[in-house]
Amino acid sequence: MRRPKLRHIGAALPRKEDLRFLTGHGRYVEDIEVPGALHACFVRSPHPHAKILSIETETAKIASGVIAIYTGKDLARWTTPLRMAPPIEGLRPVEMTTLPIDKVRFHGDPVACVIATSRYLAEDAAERVEVDYEPLPAVANLEQALLENAVKVDESLPSNLVSIQKYKTGDPEARKREAFKVVESEFHQGRMTHLPIETRGLAAVWDEGRQHLTVHIGNQVPHPYRSQVAARMRLSESQVTIVSPDVGGGFGQKIALYREELTVCAASRQLKRPVRWREDRMENLMAASHAREDSVRTRAAVTKEGRLLGLELEILEDFGAYCFYPANYLARVVAMILTGPYKLRDYAFEVKVALTNKCGNGPMRAPMAITSWVIEGTMDAIARELGLDPLEVRRLNMVETRELPYTMPTGEVIADITPRETLEAAVKAIDYAGFRKRQAAARKEGRHLGLGLCSVVESTTYGSKFYKAAGIPGSGHEAAWLRIEPGGAVNASVGLGATGQGYETAFAQVVADGLGVEPSQVRMQMGNTDVAPYGMGSRGARGGTAGGTAIFLAAREANEKVLAIAAQMLGFDSAEGLHLVDGRVEREILGERVKTDLTLAQVARTAYLDPTALPKGMAPGLDFSKTYDPPPMTYSNAAHACEVELDAETGALKILRYVVAEDCGTVLNPFVVEGQQHGAIAMGLSGALLEHMRYDEHGNNITGSLADYLVATSTDLPGFEVIPMHTPSRGNPVGIKGMAEGGVMGAIGVIACAVNDALSPFGVIADRQPLSPDYLRSLIRSAR
Amino acid sequence: MLDFELTVNGQRYPVRAEPRKLLSDVLREDCRLTGTHVGCEHGVCGACTVLVDGKPSRACLIYAVQMQGHEVTTIEAVAKDGKLSPLQQALHEVHGLQCGFCTAGIVMTFEAYLKENPRPSEAEVREVLSGNLCRCTGYHNIVKAIIRVADEGSDATA
Repeated sequence: MRRPKLRHIGAALPRKEDLRFLTGHGRYVEDIEVPGALHACFVRSPHPHAKILSIETETAKIASGVIAIYTGKDLARWTTPLRMAPPIEGLRPVEMTTLPIDKVRFHGDPVACVIATSRYLAEDAAERVEVDYEPLPAVANLEQALLENAVKVDESLPSNLVSIQKYKTGDPEARKREAFKVVESEFHQGRMTHLPIETRGLAAVWDEGRQHLTVHIGNQVPHPYRSQVAARMRLSESQVTIVSPDVGGGFGQKIALYREELTVCAASRQLKRPVRWREDRMENLMAASHAREDSVRTRAAVTKEGRLLGLELEILEDFGAYCFYPANYLARVVAMILTGPYKLRDYAFEVKVALTNKCGNGPMRAPMAITSWVIEGTMDAIARELGLDPLEVRRLNMVETRELPYTMPTGEVIADITPRETLEAAVKAIDYAGFRKRQAAARKEGRHLGLGLCSVVESTTYGSKFYKAAGIPGSGHEAAWLRIEPGGAVNASVGLGATGQGYETAFAQVVADGLGVEPSQVRMQMGNTDVAPYGMGSRGARGGTAGGTAIFLAAREANEKVLAIAAQMLGFDSAEGLHLVDGRVEREILGERVKTDLTLAQVARTAYLDPTALPKGMAPGLDFSKTYDPPPMTYSNAAHACEVELDAETGALKILRYVVAEDCGTVLNPFVVEGQQHGAIAMGLSGALLEHMRYDEHGNNITGSLADYLVATSTDLPGFEVIPMHTPSRGNPVGIKGMAEGGVMGAIGVIACAVNDALSPFGVIADRQPLSPDYLRSLIRSAR
Repeated sequence: MLDFELTVNGQRYPVRAEPRKLLSDVLREDCRLTGTHVGCEHGVCGACTVLVDGKPSRACLIYAVQMQGHEVTTIEAVAKDGKLSPLQQALHEVHGLQCGFCTAGIVMTFEAYLKENPRPSEAEVREVLSGNLCRCTGYHNIVKAIIRVADEGSDATA
């Protein structure tokens, strides 16, 4: 395909979205007024694990404002259960009802839903619902989950081990025997939650006359969500509309159809009235979706020089009580892409996922977040145990540019990435060479500095071929349409779900270059399943590559038709030498561009209102639809470097500098890319330093407020120095590689490496996150 | 139910609400000013920050009925005649917001703060900003916008 000169793609345009957000005129779910709407409140289990003996609702039903109270038995009549049974080897099929009927599985599990005339009254009445429970022993951690004769979280399974996958290529056992040393490392990541500042919520509006359900909800994947709602309500997809207006953050939490949401939809249909629900922060912390909580071990067979010969990986993940996703879905990707930029042939992994009596897990910004910490931490361990420079160990093992495309031991192919370039840039920017002197000088004063390095190879965009090969049902394609209206206005859409990524701006830039108009002339129409095409939505870092390319292809097709019509209108035989630039047709004469009098608006008027003037055989109108299925996997890369100071007396950590050199291919809008990088790093650091969803030994959640679940504030985080080093991908016509999750991966890894460097005089290793002052202080104390 | 009157953005609103109804809910539901967002309802996230008699206050920690006789200012009153305030403009120009949900609280906090402290250091800005949670931006560009508007303000008066 002929690629136009990029004039708008890559420009630092402030976002179109900002004006409404800055002035208080955004339209988040709760801002949408629904006349006559009732309010839902859920009664939740105070027990981590218990049989439901009975639910007494009579007292609550007579409370002020109460319209109805529904339990799991009611919902089972009106909705179908969720069956999670993709044909993946080693993955046990599981099923859950819309609300629990026989037993609750975690502290916060919803057991009944009160519908009342206001949120206040619904909450009052919820306190009057009497549930008779018979408490059961709970599975509070992975260790308990995997005990022989462990209590079962899900009785339909033979054990709590819901998924196990093993893989081996080459002969890692033999490499261990040949090795100069086998270096063993451990990595333990705490349980976290996404914490969008806007909690979950929806307004379900059942139209009895049309037999149609409209769901206003902040959601990342409107069309797949619609499919889920329709299937579980026994409706067709033409009976459900999802309207996802402005969304106050998602980070992976707003993908799944949650049980509360389905309950609210069913209640609206039963009552033939609109019903809305907004969870409070305690519900969001305890019962929305959790993430992470992995225990990882590596065994690296290495030569005396630190060259990696073979690697074994074990991952054990605590998935919580319910599977809203296939249980292998998150941890498996870590195993698939673990080696990142490093060369390796002989590799084996075992990935185990277990159920416990906790809130269910889901993908959180960088579901594979732990990857870079594990491989870079392994590199540091090799350096430490062999007395080598950690940078030299990385250089020794890293793939050379001339060796690309390189096939990882799992068969994943990395191409068009620049890990050596970004690593060297980060090393230079942070003054790695000068650091050791500064570190030594500081130590003499009793100050403990540390420097970490972390290279990231980010799997951004999963094509359908990847899913097929991994045995995961679903598609990686994205869809777009573009319409030039009779007056020349340009409307366009993709099937993504915006949660702050600036699509309305960045994709307007893509359309601008693909079609030949100004970005200000383009309006993106998204977030409504009746308007947008069926796309797979926003998850991973696929928006730019999958969505951006789909809309670019639609814009190119539009450009072709517009110029064909223009040629006819100007009296030329062909469109050769014609260009559309900022909405005006230009003609190339002897290499010079000459403006004509013809505008896009005139061409559009002809296309719609004077079809007999169109070239022979051409259909009227300017309406284009495209789908795009990206290559199996698109990778981008970055190198993070950070310098910390650790207070050995208190365990407090201060980040002195944070540098990231990044290559994410063609940048659609540098503001957006840099903002995504900042946000991803912040989420990574927040998780690595502070965030910890805690359960006590009996399975009680003890993190029900923001005073207990700590997230990074502006005083916890440093300023970020971003070094753009973008080189285009050859995998798609715009050259996009995608980004927005790698920052999480890099931050988690680099901070751990820096802390361990600072801890080196004490001879202790931090292999656990969060790296809280308590934990670091306990490590230092154990060393003395 | 109680009948009372609130003054919000210089305008009077007659309100009929339970005494326990939060200011944040009354602003959003009864005054139909939905720019004030509710993020945690326990005073930590700062998304619902409004000005009460010019001072930043958490609308989720105040009962609306307590606001009789006080002046409440919300995000809707910051831009004048469609023109962004210098702080709003700076946030726009340096990409100091992403999903936008926490933005109103941050704008209200610093509209008030910058009046009292026109030339804050970065450390001071970060200290004050630590009362507002933002999950998208990592705070970097918010800090940058506030410093920029402070610098511009001081240049203009110099």
